[in-house]
Amino acid sequence: MKMSIVVRTTTKLVSPFLVTYAAYLMLYGHLSPGGGFQGGVILAVAVILLITSHGYKKVRKKFKFNWASLIESSAGAMLVLLGITGLAFGAFYANFLPTEGGIILPFNVIVGLEVGAAFTFVFYILLRWVESD
Amino acid sequence: MISLVVAFPLLFAFFIVLLDTLRVKRHIIQVSFLLGAILPATVLFMGIPKGEIVGGWNRISGIEVGISELNLPFIVGELILFAFVALYSISYFDFRDKKTPKALALLLLLHAGLLGAFIAGDLFNFYIYMEIASVSAFALITFSGEPNSRRAAFKYLMLSLLASYFFVFAIGLIYMETGYLNLILISENAVPSKELNAAVGIAFASLLLKAGIFPLHSWLPDAHSSAPTPVSAVLSGAVVKAPAYGLILMFLALPVGGTLRTLAMGTAVVSIFFGITMALLQRDAKRLLAYHTVSQMGYVLLGIASLNFLGAAYYALAHSLFKGGLFLSVGALGRKTRELGKFGYRNVPIMALSVVMLSLAIGGVSPFIGSYAKGLISSGLDGAWKYVLYAGSVGTLISFTKLNYYLLRGTSEDIKAVWKFSSIFLAFITLGSGLYLGAVFDPKDIIYVVLAMVLFFLLKAADIFKKRAHVGFGEIGEEVNVLTAVFILAILASVLLQGA
Repeated sequence: MKMSIVVRTTTKLVSPFLVTYAAYLMLYGHLSPGGGFQGGVILAVAVILLITSHGYKKVRKKFKFNWASLIESSAGAMLVLLGITGLAFGAFYANFLPTEGGIILPFNVIVGLEVGAAFTFVFYILLRWVESD
Repeated sequence: MISLVVAFPLLFAFFIVLLDTLRVKRHIIQVSFLLGAILPATVLFMGIPKGEIVGGWNRISGIEVGISELNLPFIVGELILFAFVALYSISYFDFRDKKTPKALALLLLLHAGLLGAFIAGDLFNFYIYMEIASVSAFALITFSGEPNSRRAAFKYLMLSLLASYFFVFAIGLIYMETGYLNLILISENAVPSKELNAAVGIAFASLLLKAGIFPLHSWLPDAHSSAPTPVSAVLSGAVVKAPAYGLILMFLALPVGGTLRTLAMGTAVVSIFFGITMALLQRDAKRLLAYHTVSQMGYVLLGIASLNFLGAAYYALAHSLFKGGLFLSVGALGRKTRELGKFGYRNVPIMALSVVMLSLAIGGVSPFIGSYAKGLISSGLDGAWKYVLYAGSVGTLISFTKLNYYLLRGTSEDIKAVWKFSSIFLAFITLGSGLYLGAVFDPKDIIYVVLAMVLFFLLKAADIFKKRAHVGFGEIGEEVNVLTAVFILAILASVLLQGA
């Protein structure tokens, strides 16, 4: 699955901006529209765009299948650990950071990583059936 | 503190995936699986706070969780059953198969989902956790590698998800009418209206489907019999209890009309006897047990519909223990074939003892826990309804006489020590918990057992067991369509009877 040079060049140009936008949504989501889930989905779209235009095999060399699994599972574990850390401050998921928005900022970043990695992971697995190049 | 009950299994489920990606030794994965299975129980020993709101927020905006006398039996039953299932699974799932760590992670997610549903204090979180449990269950059913298992899982997936969407729609209606999702606030603010009645009807029918009660049970025997043995035990023992707990929550918080309750009691009675009849006609040992789940869930519904929630909760606890034990022991005996008469416990006396004890427990013979739970349910019933319980006991005992009769005639090889341990221990727990809760031996029960045996041999002489009950549909799509139509009719009936 390899698309024309126009598509490949455009996706290469757009992808870094998508990653930046995803980072913005994750880091500023607690004060503006956005948040972890949205940021994560856009993060995944950056990779998925590259896969659809350049082919699974080529992208997989840079973004390894195992990395997606690694980020996904460690982000999930961190999410629970964030809640358990709150126990030391009184309650499960207690807001223990004195900053603006408190634990919502780390929460959003972790959720973003989790969602982005999970979507990429799902896309990789689905593509294994479609594509065998 | 209570939230930790859910946090531990969830944490270790993610850890297992992480460790699997890093390709660590299998012992570490096994240890983290066991830790995830057992650590939630330690939370209960640290002194139970009544209820709390996650994150220390106020009740209106927070997520309330709590442990009360109503959900404690559900939680205890799930924790005990899952501890044995965890021990059983690490020797059941073969680590040479690359998918095994995934199965263990899914089992832990199932554990987290069930516990989360049982501690939930608001409808939306109950729904979310019930879905976590269901989605893990769909995937786990296919791990058995049986040709039939994918079909069963697909049927379960379609029907269960359909019921979930209707349930979440009903939650939306309730939210629209009362303005809250928290159950305490809902019960304070619920004003009877047509919309609320429609919501109650829809939620009732969808929870009945997920609990596998008679006209909506048809996914259950396939799914529960073709799943891997430890998964069958959790499915029958705990997964169908989550919607039953949802029914309790709904009946507590919302005005449920008398007509709907009468319908529910009728459905429960039909479900009890339908399950027994179908079980009598099965030749597959695990299908026989699966049909008994349909029958036993009828008792739980009978308790709920007669507003005897404590009875229903204790019956759910009893059912988790003995049905889980039965699935574990019969599954261990029938690894090669599950057809009755071709395998058995003749050469393994310890399994014989545990199967017989568990059969007596499910038949409601004192002093096992089944008799205590049945006594609680019958204390909330009046008049002729009580005879249903006696007849149900005899029917269940006939069916289990059949199971034991065929198991006595066959032999089985290579049963692992840990499997024997799980079955016999669960059998003794059914006895011990019955004694602990105050069940005393009642000589009248011997009459039931003898009556059941006599009836069994009469039925056998009449060649009833040679008959086969099989409802075939052909294509899976056609089957799902027909079952969906039945489900829609059930929703309509319950909405109309609730008076919307």
